[in-house]
Amino acid sequence: MNPMIYKITHRSTYKYKNPVSVGNHVACLIPRSSVHQQLNLVELNIHPHPATRTERVDYFGNCLCFFTVREPHKELIVEARSEVSVSADSMPVPRSELAWEEVARTLPRDLSQAGLEAYQFVFESNRIRIRPEFASYAQQSFTPGRPMRDALLDLTARIYHDFRFDSKVTNVRTPPEEAFRKRRGVCQDFAQVQIACLRSLNLAARYVSGYLRTYPPPGKPRLVGADASHAWVSVYSPTDGWLDVDPTNNVVPSDGHVTLAWGRDYGDVSPLRGLVLGGGAHTLKVGVDMEPVNPHGHEVLPAPPLHS
Amino acid sequence: MIVDLDQTPLRYSATYDELSADGVTPRPHWAHLMESLREIGPEELGRRWNRAERRIRENGITYNIYSDPLGANRPWKIDILPLLIAADEWRFIEQGIIQRAQLLNLILEDLYGAQELIANGNFPAALLYANPAFLRPLVGVKVPAQSYLHMLAVDLARSPDGRWWVLADRTQAPSGSGYALENRTIVADVLPDLFRTSNVLRLAPFFRAQRQALIDLSESNNPRIVLLTPGPHNETYFEQSYLARYLGFTLVEGADLTVRDRSVYLKTVDGLEKVDVILRRVDDSFCDPLELRGESLLGVPGLVDAIIAGNVKVANALGSGLIETAAMMPFLPGLSKHLLGEELKLPSVATWWCGQKPALDWVLSHLDSVVVKPAFPTRGMEPVFGAEIPQAEKSKFADQLRTHPHEYVAQEQIALSSAPVWENGHLLSRSVVLRAYVLNTGTGWVAIPGGLTRVAETEGSVVSMQRGGHSKDAWVLWDGPIDTFSMLRPRSEPVELRRVARAVPSSVADNVFWLGRYVERAESIARVLRAMIPRVRRVDDAELGCLIRLHSCLESRYSKLPKAKNRRATSEELEQELMSLLTNIKRPDSLASTLVEVSRVGGNVRERLSGDMNFLISQLRDSIQVEHGTPFLEYPPTLTACLELLSAFSGMERENINRGSGWLFMSIGRRLERAIYLTRQLREVATPLIEQDWSFLEYLLEVADSSMSYRTRYFTTLQPVAVLDLLMADEMNPRSLDFQLKHLADLYGKLPRHQPEDLVRMQDAATSLRSFDLRQLQYPMKGGSVVAGGSDGLARLERFLRETEQLLPSWSNSLSSRYFSHARSLPITIGQ
Repeated sequence: MNPMIYKITHRSTYKYKNPVSVGNHVACLIPRSSVHQQLNLVELNIHPHPATRTERVDYFGNCLCFFTVREPHKELIVEARSEVSVSADSMPVPRSELAWEEVARTLPRDLSQAGLEAYQFVFESNRIRIRPEFASYAQQSFTPGRPMRDALLDLTARIYHDFRFDSKVTNVRTPPEEAFRKRRGVCQDFAQVQIACLRSLNLAARYVSGYLRTYPPPGKPRLVGADASHAWVSVYSPTDGWLDVDPTNNVVPSDGHVTLAWGRDYGDVSPLRGLVLGGGAHTLKVGVDMEPVNPHGHEVLPAPPLHS
Repeated sequence: MIVDLDQTPLRYSATYDELSADGVTPRPHWAHLMESLREIGPEELGRRWNRAERRIRENGITYNIYSDPLGANRPWKIDILPLLIAADEWRFIEQGIIQRAQLLNLILEDLYGAQELIANGNFPAALLYANPAFLRPLVGVKVPAQSYLHMLAVDLARSPDGRWWVLADRTQAPSGSGYALENRTIVADVLPDLFRTSNVLRLAPFFRAQRQALIDLSESNNPRIVLLTPGPHNETYFEQSYLARYLGFTLVEGADLTVRDRSVYLKTVDGLEKVDVILRRVDDSFCDPLELRGESLLGVPGLVDAIIAGNVKVANALGSGLIETAAMMPFLPGLSKHLLGEELKLPSVATWWCGQKPALDWVLSHLDSVVVKPAFPTRGMEPVFGAEIPQAEKSKFADQLRTHPHEYVAQEQIALSSAPVWENGHLLSRSVVLRAYVLNTGTGWVAIPGGLTRVAETEGSVVSMQRGGHSKDAWVLWDGPIDTFSMLRPRSEPVELRRVARAVPSSVADNVFWLGRYVERAESIARVLRAMIPRVRRVDDAELGCLIRLHSCLESRYSKLPKAKNRRATSEELEQELMSLLTNIKRPDSLASTLVEVSRVGGNVRERLSGDMNFLISQLRDSIQVEHGTPFLEYPPTLTACLELLSAFSGMERENINRGSGWLFMSIGRRLERAIYLTRQLREVATPLIEQDWSFLEYLLEVADSSMSYRTRYFTTLQPVAVLDLLMADEMNPRSLDFQLKHLADLYGKLPRHQPEDLVRMQDAATSLRSFDLRQLQYPMKGGSVVAGGSDGLARLERFLRETEQLLPSWSNSLSSRYFSHARSLPITIGQ
């Protein structure tokens, strides 16, 4: 099957009440490459023009761009444009029926590079704490002896059904505990809740940021810029490697998902953060556009509306 | 993976007595001290102890205790008797702590580098990954190996059998070496003969080595080294400023630094100056809000990137807090064999990290004999003494451990040894902990001979400075020759002469400027109060009006006097107002509040001022404290005493400070403040005054300390024009407006990077002041006819004073934004 090719534009606009004299920023907006994802082109346009700009690969292998804007400005625009190919057929296919407890048991003993890399995602991180309520919620899916993949898909489906997609109740700082209590949130909350559940069972789960292909309502043209950035979860199994699940849409990501970066939680991969001198109150507007260059790369199925 | 379960549990009933084995005869190395104490006698010792206390207050040695009702700046508590350590014992301790520092440094190097210890199973991966102090952005970053642990502090305790044990390691920004130095200075001063005859190993060589180590770290010939402090509210701020001064480094806060083109710069009044080495006292994760903790206001955005680019060296290296956890301790004996090929010389207090099953099981079955602590202190949890948990709650606690075992460590409690302290005329015995320090010079390791001895507040209680304990000096009684090097004493080789002053960070200029302003403001208020208080009860109606007029020149926004035009304040109301202006700490414009501000801004630049000046500032703060209910008329002597201190301060300002940029800012602050008050007062005269209000002139002369000059010239004739001449136009009178404006222009012109337009504004004001010919001024006189248009000159003068009154604050703002504003604004975090 041919890979899907997307042109992605991710544009963030900060507007400040007062002029900013110096702004130091980090952008995590350059898509990763992997076995099933290839980065064909990428450019990061920043206005005003930054005085300094350096790129660096972080601890998790994400590509970060550090820049400093030093001319006084009341508006900052960061626009990432990329072209990415994603193939569906190189997605890992589960080979084993390893019970989830077995996965949790082997992780601490696995000193291979891949094992160690995965093991660090078992622990609490700044934004995702391990709590008894997460464990008991997860245990309804992770019943004794149940194969890892089975239990994972069940948990994904339960979160999808039990939680309501609602962009009004949470923000980027909402802790998973709160989203869990309210049973509402956006993709970030869905993902962080699921990660908290998995880590509570000593499983390795990481936070993936990226983009999701959306489909216009039947008969309507695709709306440019109506997309949003997305987040989902990746879980490690020694036999299958990393397996992605998208609890917001109850799907296993395939060539409709483009991976941007991953880390322990949102804090490791927030697309744009920074410190500014001056500025006062500010607003942020984000526009994402994901356009399939070859919309017929494979057969387009009528799909339900997807959330991110 | 090596788990040392066979750690000797320490349970002893008695404690080790440092002073004496049998409770009667001193141990040999204490004999000389005990003999001297007997010779000095308790009375003299008491006197010396008082002297030490006074010196601590005078030097402003403080230790801020969080959540202390006394707030910041609590005097440091010191015991005058040193802890004595015999030479052989010290050799043993020194080898032990140096080996430990070597080992910990290698561990850090590996965990932030190749991580072979993890891959080979020598170190549990969970202990690395679960640790919030593991700073991932620093992994794989090349930094000089000796910077991981530039300095290590080790808390040591002695068990009843006389062996030394490590209680804790301080690996990221160890505190206390400066207090150790200060303790030494004080104790050597109080017990000079004993110190001289005891052959005590000196501390100065250690600090010389530290300075050299930091210079070497820079790989530059003439490096700029700064000491990064969390600021005056930090518990050990005194020590930080003391060390900065002692080592000759610039004391800076995060806001003083900025990153440009991946290098760190110090913002100074001369512009940006590159920083080569940062000796930090800010905790790891607070150092860079961009890449580490986003909410930190203590750090420098972009610092991590500058480190990665190799453009700045930080000591201790960022991330070194990783191994501060006690959970490391059980692995040290194995790692010592693995990395150094040696047995660990100095044991740690028996510790179990619950992250490993056998250790957890052991802890759960021995809960009564251990204290359980968080493995990662940032999680915030008080130590739990297993024996104190009620039986009913034990299984719940055990479950808590089982659920997240890697979050906990358990330790044996150690019975601390005791040492003599001098308290209220008696020798008492108190538990002690010795904090020892090791320095990595890059080519070797050096330990502070002795260190900081911390003393429990009461018998058997927990030893912690945060809980309000004392400290004492520690003397290593050497058996060989000692190096008596002093940081200030001449050495044999000639020094290179330097005339370049230390850079003045913008924040320092800011504080010094305000120090000048507040000191002058305090003086103005005190002079006005001293002129008014004796008069307010005995004046007639017209004079009362003049006093109110004088008070109004202070432009107090917090005055309680009636504002209505139709009712004037009574003398009782004025008296109340003056009392409040003098003592009410809640009024920002009171003398008391102004002196608090003097002390605050002075404290911020303490390491820049001479000891005498710091002493004066601390005296000023307390100078107007009087007992409640003191009669009103007893205040003038208090004010006079306060004014004497203020004069002493201005004397030092003139005679004891180098004429660098710092001094310029202080003087500009003073001149500016004096000009502001003076302009307001002169405007009252130019309004003009009707003759029955002329006693106002008398007050004015007194407030401006110019009564004598006036009388010499005019005897007792009081006339407005003559007063104007003396207080406004007389260029020789240091209290005249002409003098202030002229000097403001001159001083400003000497500042680096000054703005020509601001210079011109001040010069213009001075020039237009000189354009007035007061002899031509027709001031309305009693019985004199007012010539039509005759007081035109007076109206012009009034206008000039009004314009000057507006010019001064706006000129000050312009100066502030030119030199200080960037140091003051704190960055805000966006997008997270």
